[in-house]
Amino acid sequence: MAEGVHRHFEGMHAVDGVSIEVPTGKITGLIGPNGAGKSTFLAVLAGTLPASEGTIVYDGQDITRMPAYARARRGLVRTFQLPSEFARLTVLENLLVAAPKNRGDSLWGALRGKGYWMVDEQPLIDQARGLLKRFGMTAKESDYAGTMSGGQKRLIEIMRALMLKPRVLLLDEPMSGVHPSIVEEIHHYLQELRREGLTILMVEHELHLVERLCDSVVVMAQGKVIGSGTMATLRQQKEIVDAYLVG
Amino acid sequence: MNSYYAATLAVYAAVDIIACIALNLQFGVSGIVNFSFIVFQSIGAYTAAVLSMPPDTANGAYQVYIGGFQLPFPIPWIGGAIAGGLLAIPVGLVVLRKLRSDYQAISLLVLSVIANSVIMNARTFLNGAAGIAQVPGPFSDQVDPLSQTYQLLYVGLTIPCVLLVWLVASRIVNSPFGRSLRAMREHEVAATAIGKNPVQLKMTIFIVGGVIAGLSGAILVGYIAVWAPSEWLYPETIILFAAVIVGGRGNNVGAMLGALLVPVGFFEVTRLIPATIGGWVPPPNLIPAMEWVAIGLLIIGFLWFRPEGVRPEPRRVFGGAPVPEDLVSAGSS
Repeated sequence: MAEGVHRHFEGMHAVDGVSIEVPTGKITGLIGPNGAGKSTFLAVLAGTLPASEGTIVYDGQDITRMPAYARARRGLVRTFQLPSEFARLTVLENLLVAAPKNRGDSLWGALRGKGYWMVDEQPLIDQARGLLKRFGMTAKESDYAGTMSGGQKRLIEIMRALMLKPRVLLLDEPMSGVHPSIVEEIHHYLQELRREGLTILMVEHELHLVERLCDSVVVMAQGKVIGSGTMATLRQQKEIVDAYLVG
Repeated sequence: MNSYYAATLAVYAAVDIIACIALNLQFGVSGIVNFSFIVFQSIGAYTAAVLSMPPDTANGAYQVYIGGFQLPFPIPWIGGAIAGGLLAIPVGLVVLRKLRSDYQAISLLVLSVIANSVIMNARTFLNGAAGIAQVPGPFSDQVDPLSQTYQLLYVGLTIPCVLLVWLVASRIVNSPFGRSLRAMREHEVAATAIGKNPVQLKMTIFIVGGVIAGLSGAILVGYIAVWAPSEWLYPETIILFAAVIVGGRGNNVGAMLGALLVPVGFFEVTRLIPATIGGWVPPPNLIPAMEWVAIGLLIIGFLWFRPEGVRPEPRRVFGGAPVPEDLVSAGSS
């Protein structure tokens, strides 16, 4: 839940007093014209950008001042508008690196050698391979992530986020720049994740996808929330139609 | 090649290999552009020197320095390594926490220049620009340092250090911790978004690199017996960067290869240049100046034509994985 969140950039109010509550186990769409502050708001929720004012509550705890990495460890995980794969790591490594509990992921663990941390590593490799199979990317396991297509990079990001076993997933335009066939795949996977109880807040421009996928929608313009509800109810509101839904 | 020269070459090679492995951990694996690397090597050298030397009142008090504890081997080498690590803490806390990576590089370069100027001009600490001399090497009170036996002994002492550093670096690079470092190098914000604490990762590897750099300085000063600001001017760091870039960033084998090709290779090649060319006697500073030109061209050439270096970072293919198509085609060609 976000309450009165502001984010200023030297006098420019990118996010201007946004308050929303994201329902558990649902997909919530966050839409609005370019420059509405959607991605900035998502970054503030994830902790990538600090909030200038306001409160962010997650799982009953005020996390407004919590750094991004600590939020991710608690299950609030984001993806990015632009591809953010670890280019010179293989696809499997991109997933493994996100696994939160590995005894070899510290200096002392590393120095103790493979025999010490492989006990944790092997189940994580199995978990990552399970995700690759589910997302149809098994054959790409050992390819460098940087060589993947735009759509495959989106899938890597989603799989990487899932390795953390998140409770809330913040997706920033997961379908942008993606081939239509992979858009359908991502759509299908997101529906599956919802069925499994994952809470998703998704910034998206493609309104027909939002309509098909999201249980509810929040509309932003000029840094403020100007409406919320289902797409059907939003289409009834003239100011929202004028601001964004024309066409 | 006589045995003294061979021993000198071996010790320099060992020192450069250790230094390049440390720089590779920081720069090649973790993406920290540590342009002040030579300062960490230098603090290790100075610390080892003042731990092993007698008080400055000895030998007619012709040089001035702090300390002078006359401690036996291996304490000076251990002290040098610890000093490198300790220096990394305040430097890292100031430079690595808030600054963007390009500003980090600039700050570290400036630090290198400032540190050198301070030590050069503040004579009371470490004898200023003249530096400190007559640094006793390990066991030099028991074995004549000018003897062939001592040369072999020194090479014998450096080899376990190279192996130890190699083992530590390999375990780091090939572990999940190394994977986190590489992820941070590739995309720091994305690494943060999956729960990695970039400050903690950077500080850890900066301190580890500082310890190894300090050890390399301690080994070198014990052998050459002198250490002065002219030994560790900031361009010395550029030579080590050239070595890591040429050898292959992110790869310990590449770092070792780079150390042998660049610092040691240049040392050897310039020895072979004749003093006169067809009766013409070149100016005395021409060869050292040409070395810098060659190092600059080497860096530009590799970054342009083979940025991954001679031995690129290896791809990690896990057991039971399908073999990637590009590796299949590379293997069949």
